[in-house]
Amino acid sequence: MSEKQAMIRVQNLKKSFGAVEVLKDINLEVKKGEVVVLIGASGSGKSTLIRCINFLEIKNGGDIFIEGKSIDPKKDDLSKVRQKVGMVFQHFNLFPHKTVLENVIEAPLIVRKMNKEEAKKEAMQLLKKVGLEEKADVYPSALSGGQKQRVAIARSLAMKPEIMLFDEPTSALDPELVGEVLETMKQLAREGMTMIIVTHEMGFAKDVADWVAFMDKGKILELAAPHEIFNHPKEERTREFLTRVL
Amino acid sequence: MPSISHLIEEFIRTFPFFLKPLLLTFELTFASVVVGTVIGLFVALLKISNFPLGPMIANVYITVIRGTPLIVQIFVLYFGFYKVVDLGQFWSAALALAVHSGAYIAEIFRGAIQSIDKGQMEAGLSLGMSPAQTMRRIILPQALKRSIPPLGNQFILSLKESSLAAFIAMDELFSMARRLSAETFDEMTFFLIVAVYYLVIVMLFTYLVNKMEKRLAKGDS
Repeated sequence: MSEKQAMIRVQNLKKSFGAVEVLKDINLEVKKGEVVVLIGASGSGKSTLIRCINFLEIKNGGDIFIEGKSIDPKKDDLSKVRQKVGMVFQHFNLFPHKTVLENVIEAPLIVRKMNKEEAKKEAMQLLKKVGLEEKADVYPSALSGGQKQRVAIARSLAMKPEIMLFDEPTSALDPELVGEVLETMKQLAREGMTMIIVTHEMGFAKDVADWVAFMDKGKILELAAPHEIFNHPKEERTREFLTRVL
Repeated sequence: MPSISHLIEEFIRTFPFFLKPLLLTFELTFASVVVGTVIGLFVALLKISNFPLGPMIANVYITVIRGTPLIVQIFVLYFGFYKVVDLGQFWSAALALAVHSGAYIAEIFRGAIQSIDKGQMEAGLSLGMSPAQTMRRIILPQALKRSIPPLGNQFILSLKESSLAAFIAMDELFSMARRLSAETFDEMTFFLIVAVYYLVIVMLFTYLVNKMEKRLAKGDS
């Protein structure tokens, strides 16, 4: 690791839902331009971890630093934080009452107070980037799952985030549609976007990740470069998991 | 039972007498529905808010209104308003009906808001929108659309319930039927005739709501 600034630092993070401890003492650092992939069985806390980083879940303990600043969800303006940290959801969560273009320009208009023409121009560039400029005027219900997810990525990028979080972005897709979404994400990684990705696509993790973190029962059990994790896992639990999914 | 031909004859003969009451019934229903919708939206948002006491105040209002007969509410509100501020007869009656239907409309809106997938709020928040912005721009437009069928139902109820305004001396449809039946001692005829008036209005209204629902169905998945 170089001395580049840590975009995200998670320190001793704890999160419980009622009596269930979902995250136990998580430590993670992501530097600018790095791609970190979180893998692990369902229920291991991967999604909860990235939802905590976007403050959609509020931590019970520990610290989350975004660009070096510790964020207190009670005092800090979470809107400001979330503008830096984009999020893509498993179920896309597009706004069904708005067209594709309206989905993309909504936050730039409302949050960044952009002028409408300017916002539209930027949105069209983003839609072109994800290969959907010809779908600008249709409603999300007319899109395939893969197209919906690419619109969701464009919508998130419209806020010009420093970091992108992906919560199982291809898990709700038909197998033949997974590729187009992964391709879009690869392109983002090549452009130097800092990303944390929860996924079950191991091939993608091998190709794109700088680091792969294996989570088990609310802990990061092992964090290493992809070839290390996939070829020489140190932990017995990692090995078991990988033999089941590969 | 009066014969069909007698009913038709009397319907045609008394039609001019019913015109003004018919208009008043429409005005009363329209005013109470508009004000009731505003009250309902406000109370629904209060109920799901985290203002201190907000949900409690909303619950007390809803519980009291749903737990007491409408005719009692109309009398209490009518005479209550009358003594505090003189709103005039029409607005006293319209507000009484609005306060009543507001409680039911609040529950319609609350249900619709809570039926919107929570991913919608999360998506709005994740883009840096505030909870209030997301509610106004993302959740409410979808929730209002879902509210239309039950709201149509509530408006039909309001229309029929406006007949109770006859008991606070409003000269609306039902009031006219009572007057004609008292004058002619031909009660059955005029209560059947007024029933037809209500039925036709309700059927027309149902038709319009269905059409509107279909038009708004675009973009649904």
